Amino acid sequence: MTRRILIVEDDADTRGFLTKGLTEAGFVVQAVEDGRDGLYLAIDGGFDLIILDRMLPKLDGLSVLKSLRVAGFATPVLMLTAMSAVDERVRGLREGADDYLVKPFSFDELTARIEALLRRPQDQAEERVLVCKDLEMDLISRKVLRAGRSIDLQPREYQMLEFLMRRKNRVVTRTMLLEGLWDYHFDPQTNVIDVHISKLRRKVDAPTEHPLIRTIRGAGYMLSDEG
Amino acid sequence: MLRNSKTRLILASSVLGVGATALVLMLFYWAAYAIFEAETREVVNAELTGLADDYQSLGILGLARAIERRLENADERDAVYLLTDTYGRTIAGNIEAWPPTVVPGSGWVELELFRTDGSQSVLVSAASISLQNNERLLVGRDSAGRARFERALFQAAGLAVVAAIVLSLVTGWLLSRLVFNRISDISRTAADIVSGDLSGRVPIRGSGDEFDRLSATLNAMFDRIEALIGNLRTTTDSLAHDLRSPLTRLRTQVERLTLENLTEQERHDLVLRMQNEVDHLLKTFTAMTEISRAEAGLGRADFETMDLLSVTKGVGELYEPVASESNVQIQTMGSAQPFQGNAPLLAQALSNLVENALRYAPSGSVIKITLRNADDMVSVCVSDQGPGIPDDDLTRAIERFVTLDDSRSDRGTGLGLALVSAVAQLHHGDLRLTNNDPGLNAEMTLAVKSKVRKF
Repeated sequence: MTRRILIVEDDADTRGFLTKGLTEAGFVVQAVEDGRDGLYLAIDGGFDLIILDRMLPKLDGLSVLKSLRVAGFATPVLMLTAMSAVDERVRGLREGADDYLVKPFSFDELTARIEALLRRPQDQAEERVLVCKDLEMDLISRKVLRAGRSIDLQPREYQMLEFLMRRKNRVVTRTMLLEGLWDYHFDPQTNVIDVHISKLRRKVDAPTEHPLIRTIRGAGYMLSDEG
Repeated sequence: MLRNSKTRLILASSVLGVGATALVLMLFYWAAYAIFEAETREVVNAELTGLADDYQSLGILGLARAIERRLENADERDAVYLLTDTYGRTIAGNIEAWPPTVVPGSGWVELELFRTDGSQSVLVSAASISLQNNERLLVGRDSAGRARFERALFQAAGLAVVAAIVLSLVTGWLLSRLVFNRISDISRTAADIVSGDLSGRVPIRGSGDEFDRLSATLNAMFDRIEALIGNLRTTTDSLAHDLRSPLTRLRTQVERLTLENLTEQERHDLVLRMQNEVDHLLKTFTAMTEISRAEAGLGRADFETMDLLSVTKGVGELYEPVASESNVQIQTMGSAQPFQGNAPLLAQALSNLVENALRYAPSGSVIKITLRNADDMVSVCVSDQGPGIPDDDLTRAIERFVTLDDSRSDRGTGLGLALVSAVAQLHHGDLRLTNNDPGLNAEMTLAVKSKVRKF
């Protein structure tokens, strides 16, 4: 199934870099450079996802977003912003963006976000048990089993594992964890998330077992049932 | 000349002064003239009545003699008389002939007549009556008296106008000197400031007048500008200094990448190192932006009622695993009343404080996060048991780009505490560092009610 992405970005370099990278990643990409064209295409283009820059000529990103949402379009929107300030990011989300990225971002971070947004609808499905190979999480009784062995998790560790399991085989970045679990929109200086993950890893992946939580270099983590 | 507002002010005040004087004089003239006229008529009418009585008692000859007597009286030079007989011939008087337009008894008339003692016609105001045997009597006053009266009045008026001009010029000059001296004080100070000397202040005379109040407001503004510029200068200097080293390193690395023969592994490592440099630079810029925004008061729009304890617990919980790795405990105690604040920014500020504490906390020690309530403030204090900061450096440590311990391997941006301080100020509070002996207390005080900052 081809997945179509609309890029609305006025900076030619960024536009080119995104188009090339996402095309190589297997997406069908269309790119425009101003907000007005962006809005027209978004309305009748049948895209699966829209990457929308915050500052655009003719019609700025927030207005495009507002118009889309008012017109009843629920297409996932990933906002790009050069404004790192927390309140600025929060405002984007409040206006109906599904996610945002602060420029400059790494391409891995971007693809991780895109994958997360594209698969979102399936997450809404009512699931009672999450499974990844021999790891099972019962969402009702909140019990976690690895190869039949019960794993005792702190509340935060449980949330973190659930976050990873719901995004099985997809990269989860440190920022996504910070935002998703703590609702923090800043980069801590130290490697807090790594330490949280390694704590979780010690409980989930016993030394003798096949490791399920993988580190994806330069990007983040992935709970994987492959390989 | 007219572009000079001092001249304009003096001129305007003079014109107004002279105009007012002239108006007063004009009204005065009209009033005086009316009185003068009324008096003239009264005198003439009285004389007509008197002469008519003379005619009744003494007859036409007695009347003629009475008129002649009056004409001899030097005091009555303005007086005009004419008595004619039944046939219109002159019996007595100082007018050539009975003016044909005047019908006796028709009241008050004004006309040009030739006096017997003058070669020019004069303007005469007169009244006339008809006597018993159709003799006619005319009594009047010529305009010479009025002219004298007017001359005297105009002389006085001229003097008054000259005096008004002089006086208003003098007051205008004094007034403008008073105003313009104060204004040029202000303008001189402002010019000094524009030219770069930020220390100048407008002198205050202590009279408490409008100029003193204006000067005080301006001085407060200049104080603020000086502080802001000073702040900006330090920031820019430090920024330039702080960015130069990573940029220089980056440049060297780029050079190595392009010039040297590197193995694939070396190349990869080098690129990773460069990426780290760039990330560090970006972090620095992000932090700078956040500080500026907080200092500018942005983020107050997003204030909401919040619970500092839950924010604190969240931050503590985030760092707890990192802390326990280095065998440090994080303890949260106390509570805070609900207050108006920006939760995301406060979480960020708190995490900066905790990170800072973690950096210096020795193994086996405790980092305490204590919440307290005061009247209209809440405070959160992060205390570590590390080496602390020398007392002299306590205030300096909050400034931007100041990292007191240069030997540390993990580079901070040097902006952590500056951001905390800016966030505290955003909440109308402050950040205070004190020594804990051993260790450091970093206490953030926040106002419960967000008040409008007054200048």
